[in-house]
Amino acid sequence: MDAEIRFTLNGKSVIFIGNPLRRLVDVLREDFGMLGVKEGCGEGECGACSVIKDGKLVTSCIIPVGSVDGSEIMTIEGLREKEEGKCLIDAFADGGAVQCGFCIPGMVLASYVLLRSNPHPTEDEIRLAISGNICRCTGYDLIVESIMLAAKRGEELWTK
Amino acid sequence: MDEVKCFIPKSLDEALRIRKEFHAKPLAGGSDLMVSYYKGIGIAPVFPFPVMIISNLSDELGTIRKEDDGVHIGALSTPNEIASSMVVPYPVRKAASLMGAPSLRNTATIGGNIGNASPKGDLPQPLILLDAEVVLRSVDGERRMKVDDFILGSKKTALADDEIITGIVIPEVKATHYFYHKIGMRRANAISKLSLSALFDVEDGVVVDFRASSGAAGPKVRRSRDAEEILIGLKLDEVSGKTGEFLSAWNSILSPHAMPEYRRASTRRMLLGFIEEVASGALPGNYE
Ligand SMILES: Cc1cc2nc3c(=O)[nH]c(=O)nc-3n(C[C@H](O)[C@H](O)[C@H](O)COP(=O)(O)OP(=O)(O)OC[C@H]3O[C@@H](n4cnc5c(N)ncnc54)[C@H](O)[C@@H]3O)c2cc1C
Ligand code: FES
Ligand code: FES
Repeated sequence: MDAEIRFTLNGKSVIFIGNPLRRLVDVLREDFGMLGVKEGCGEGECGACSVIKDGKLVTSCIIPVGSVDGSEIMTIEGLREKEEGKCLIDAFADGGAVQCGFCIPGMVLASYVLLRSNPHPTEDEIRLAISGNICRCTGYDLIVESIMLAAKRGEELWTK
Repeated sequence: MDEVKCFIPKSLDEALRIRKEFHAKPLAGGSDLMVSYYKGIGIAPVFPFPVMIISNLSDELGTIRKEDDGVHIGALSTPNEIASSMVVPYPVRKAASLMGAPSLRNTATIGGNIGNASPKGDLPQPLILLDAEVVLRSVDGERRMKVDDFILGSKKTALADDEIITGIVIPEVKATHYFYHKIGMRRANAISKLSLSALFDVEDGVVVDFRASSGAAGPKVRRSRDAEEILIGLKLDEVSGKTGEFLSAWNSILSPHAMPEYRRASTRRMLLGFIEEVASGALPGNYE
């Protein structure tokens, strides 16, 4: 039973026609080529598939595409075009936060949501904000420091 | 290929008609259903029953507000929305704030937490402490029942096959002291191993109300009104003399099969700590 689902993807209106129970992660990767959305666990546990839905961080592997009718979805492909995204990505690179990179799109999206609501987070608040994003490589410390760096460098970006 | 029956109703009325005719199971956040029927990368989950995606009905099912008969929480309210709403009593807010990780708290719903009736679910426990009711609607009308009666056991509820949970009502509770504590394995996505909430209402040095409930400790949340009665009506300075009697009555409702002794010991220790604090004149407030 095909359904017609309309949503906004990185600022553009898109239409999906197909099985509304397909997982958002699969639709974003296979139908819309958003390969920055990664799949780790498939069970909502690791955060690799994180996207921003109507301003909120969600894991796209446990959401059926039928749930996003009328929503605004942003993936890393959309965020990297924004000043805030560039600031975060540069800070992650300069801070040495990236090893294999698999978790990084999710980490950057989680950091973006954090800094938008809390431009001056403490270390503890940062760790809480990325607590649903698992990194198998870095041990997190350099990621946390890079987010602090982005908060500092981006000052007026995050408070505007 | 089998046709996957999936509906996407545009209104609650339409959802109720679909529920009546096809008995389609509501999919709210999907955080239980999508994971239970996960088939693998690139494969859509296949449900052995018709489903309807109700996530988009939050205009009708997603509000939290205070009314004359208590705090109404719409079925689609998420843990983050509940945790940040100051009209919601402390134990429910606190439990919501400790569910999953930030992303899960934007996806899960209170209707799904109750509908799923997992013994590990975090919201039924404080709701039962507060005598909350679940509001059930079908095309034929509405009925309400205590959450405690609605959840029959592990994964079993009294939901009829033409009904949808539209929300929860928490009746006005008078309490001076609240307690909530969850023990899980790690900070994010920690499924409860044990959870406990309790409340005191103390007026002029007398215990007017006292309640305790424990979760994740067997097929159902446990409360014992008989045990609670032991402390109700006492003057604060009489409470410590009766605490032993309360704890052994409380202990007898916790099944040793569901809960090994060390866990029963931790619930007793947590309750004892809270009771002693209140008995010794602790200021009204929220305790963990
Ligand atoms: C990574 C992860 C971490 C988790 N951590 C926690 C945790 O810490 N604490 C916790 O309690 N749970 C946790 N869960 C479980 C789950 O998120 C919760 O049970 C959640 O509240 C389910 O809500 P939902 O809307 O997503 O459920 P869904 O999957 O949409 O539905 C669950 C069940 O409820 C029924 N249902 C849903 N809405 C209604 C309605 N309005 N009327 C009638 N029936 C309905 C469905 O038909 C289904 O049977 C976790 C899950 C994941 C994937
Ligand atoms: S792949 Fe979605 S959370 Fe792990
Ligand atoms: S950099 Fe490899 S998983 Fe995080």
